[in-house]
Amino acid sequence: MNEGLAGEHQSGAMQVVMIGLGEEKFALDAGLVREIIDPVPVTKVAGARAFVPSVINVRGNVIPLADLRIRFGMPQLDDSADTRIVVIELELDGEPVLVGVTADKVYEVTEISQTDVQQTPRVGMHWKPEFIRFIAKWREEFVIVPNMERILN
Amino acid sequence: MSAMDPTEVFRQEAAELFEVLEGALLDLGQRPDDRELVDSAFRALHTIKGSGAMFGFDKVASFTHEFETAFDRVRKGEIKPTQELISVALAAKDYIRALIEDPQSTDDIIGEAILDDLKRFVSADQPAAAVVEIAGAPALVPAESKQAGWHLNLEFESHILRNGSNPLDLLEDLCKLGPCFVVPITDGVPFLDEMEPEDCYLKWDVKLHAACDKDAIDDVFMFVQDEMKLTLSPLEHTEAPAQAPLFQLLDEELAPAAEMPAPAREAAPAPVADQPVAKAEPKSESKPEPKSEGKRDDRGIATVRVQAERLDELMDRVGELVIAQARLTQLAASGSDLSIKMIAEEIERLASSLRDTTMGARMVPIGSLFGRFRRLVHDLSRDLSKPVEFVTSGEDTELDKTMIECLADPLVHLIRNAIDHGIEDTATRTANGKIEQGRIELAAVHSGAQVLVTVKDNGGGLNTARIRAKAEEQGLIAAGAVLTDHEIHQFLFHPGFSTAQTISALSGRGVGMDVVKRTIENMRGTIDLSTRPGQGTTVTLRLPLTLAIIEGLLIRVGEGRYIIPLSAVEECIELTAEDERSRGRNFLNVRGNLVPFLRLREIMAASGTPDRHQKTIIISTGETHVGLVADQIIGNHQTVIKSLSKLHSDVTIFSGATILGDGTAALILDVAQLVALAQSKVEKQHISEAA
Repeated sequence: MNEGLAGEHQSGAMQVVMIGLGEEKFALDAGLVREIIDPVPVTKVAGARAFVPSVINVRGNVIPLADLRIRFGMPQLDDSADTRIVVIELELDGEPVLVGVTADKVYEVTEISQTDVQQTPRVGMHWKPEFIRFIAKWREEFVIVPNMERILN
Repeated sequence: MSAMDPTEVFRQEAAELFEVLEGALLDLGQRPDDRELVDSAFRALHTIKGSGAMFGFDKVASFTHEFETAFDRVRKGEIKPTQELISVALAAKDYIRALIEDPQSTDDIIGEAILDDLKRFVSADQPAAAVVEIAGAPALVPAESKQAGWHLNLEFESHILRNGSNPLDLLEDLCKLGPCFVVPITDGVPFLDEMEPEDCYLKWDVKLHAACDKDAIDDVFMFVQDEMKLTLSPLEHTEAPAQAPLFQLLDEELAPAAEMPAPAREAAPAPVADQPVAKAEPKSESKPEPKSEGKRDDRGIATVRVQAERLDELMDRVGELVIAQARLTQLAASGSDLSIKMIAEEIERLASSLRDTTMGARMVPIGSLFGRFRRLVHDLSRDLSKPVEFVTSGEDTELDKTMIECLADPLVHLIRNAIDHGIEDTATRTANGKIEQGRIELAAVHSGAQVLVTVKDNGGGLNTARIRAKAEEQGLIAAGAVLTDHEIHQFLFHPGFSTAQTISALSGRGVGMDVVKRTIENMRGTIDLSTRPGQGTTVTLRLPLTLAIIEGLLIRVGEGRYIIPLSAVEECIELTAEDERSRGRNFLNVRGNLVPFLRLREIMAASGTPDRHQKTIIISTGETHVGLVADQIIGNHQTVIKSLSKLHSDVTIFSGATILGDGTAALILDVAQLVALAQSKVEKQHISEAA
């Protein structure tokens, strides 16, 4: 997270990985992303919270697989040829945690510039504002930069 | 491979020495006449002083020197170590430790006060006449007046130079004690082409003309005593230096006594003098062994200091290897290539022995932990004026290093409880016809794949009625509910539950019993209490041998596969049609015993139709048995434990996860939690039946 912020200040731009969830596009801070992998078999964790329903094996580590679509109240699509798992590293309660995030599609690694950043509008959103860091404009489209720490806590 | 900070090396070494010192001092309190203990305490002190000075801990060195000087009288047998003296010595030890670990927190005044106390104790009474005979060195200590000096014969082992010891330095130290005649004996020096440049071939014959103590000489060679032969005999007055036979043979070496140190140096031949000696290595080999008995035999066992993280990394790699090997085995089994199968088997064997070796390397005897509590018991027993005898057994029992660290806090709490609440005060004990001195036993023993650690006191036992009253008062149980004593005692593990009527300085500090229980359960262990009124309480901790890899039973529930730790599995039985139909009851009849069971399909919310023949795995924690109903029992599985992330910390029925042969993750069932779950269901059923 801090790396990403530092990047913003230096160049006025932010490196992001653009992913698609349903019809929406989300921009994940590239500083958080460790790797992008093809879907792997998942193991359901009974009794877990709905947005982290399962765990997966990524290079010998068992990591939770989070589903942002559930957090944002979006319909879940079946895995397609485009489905990927984006592995991100977050600090939760001061400890680094690897989390897999299901993406319906991964577009590209790109930059969004500071000037494109817009404040989260208070109205007209069906998502909880605390889950969103800000909204940016990319190729004439609005993309959401989610606040991963809040979403996963 | 970066070298370790030498100061850090010293700190670690000092920490070990402190344990030796403390152990010796505490033992000395019980066996004041044991010379071995005095010597081992003294050696530890001496090493701390020496290495302290070497690494620039000047304060440590000077304080320890004073301590040593005072303690020297104990060593000489002039005074007996009393309880008071031991207490002051322990305080002095703590002060040195503080000087090393956190010099900011110390105050010179405290140090001086401790030294004053020490000096007072060692000088106050007991005239020098009260010389206790020194067991190890009879006859060699004649009255000093008769003696004009010492005749020493020094023979070092040939590898001594490689350990960083320099015999010449030792000779110089010896010369400081008084005028010396040093004659090298060159018999052992081989021909040049046979000479190993790093070996020491010389022996020395020394005549020391000083009426010093034998101890003073021993001190010079303290660090190399395991690697040399020192023959020591007193010189008589009549034996004039010039008349010594050796000197007659070597008359060109005759020189005035005062000049001898220099010739001694020159007399050393090239192989020794030119040898670049690595000085800054006070290596473990030259360190006095903590156990003085049989030290010569111990030398063969070489030890290497390894950072704990490296062992952890190694364990991780081995874990990955075991997983990869499981995949290979599965692949080989599915094909028909015989040579691949053979290789897979070979690798399986190698991987499992590598795993055992790696785990073995992480094992530490629990005695290192037990030693710490002796001080705790000593202090508590003094503060509470309850005389307590502390007995430990099974110190050799080995446990994973990480577990030993995790165990320290819970055990401190249990021991504190036992002394504070368990052992009655002297008056009560006498009134009840018990011996005045209480007794705490700390024991460790292997039991299958588990280690049992017990803390046992012979105090008053738990007050079941009071616990019950308290539980009722807190609304944990309904008044008049029928509970067994065992069930009532479980309330002690409830957060915020305390029956202590007054809060003493000891209870209410640090962790409570609920934290103890949680810590033990986090280690996948269990805790059990048993008590007999008037006779004492025993707390039993059952712990797995390791935190890293366990033997597991792989089962299938619906689509999902799960691991049950094999150590908890009692037996596997088929669920009969009769049991199957009894939806409401959820009890099994196992050879006449009613065992509650849980349907894992319900708990795991499994989809699909259940298998026709459901299997029941009977698991147990302590005395409690619970059946788990699964679709299929797949078999044994070497389970490399991976912890679940924080995001799943709210899921309690799983203690971790592992990776199966096909690369998918499987969850490990938390037996203790499942048993608790089953019991709460049973209780609910009781309540609904009662209603």
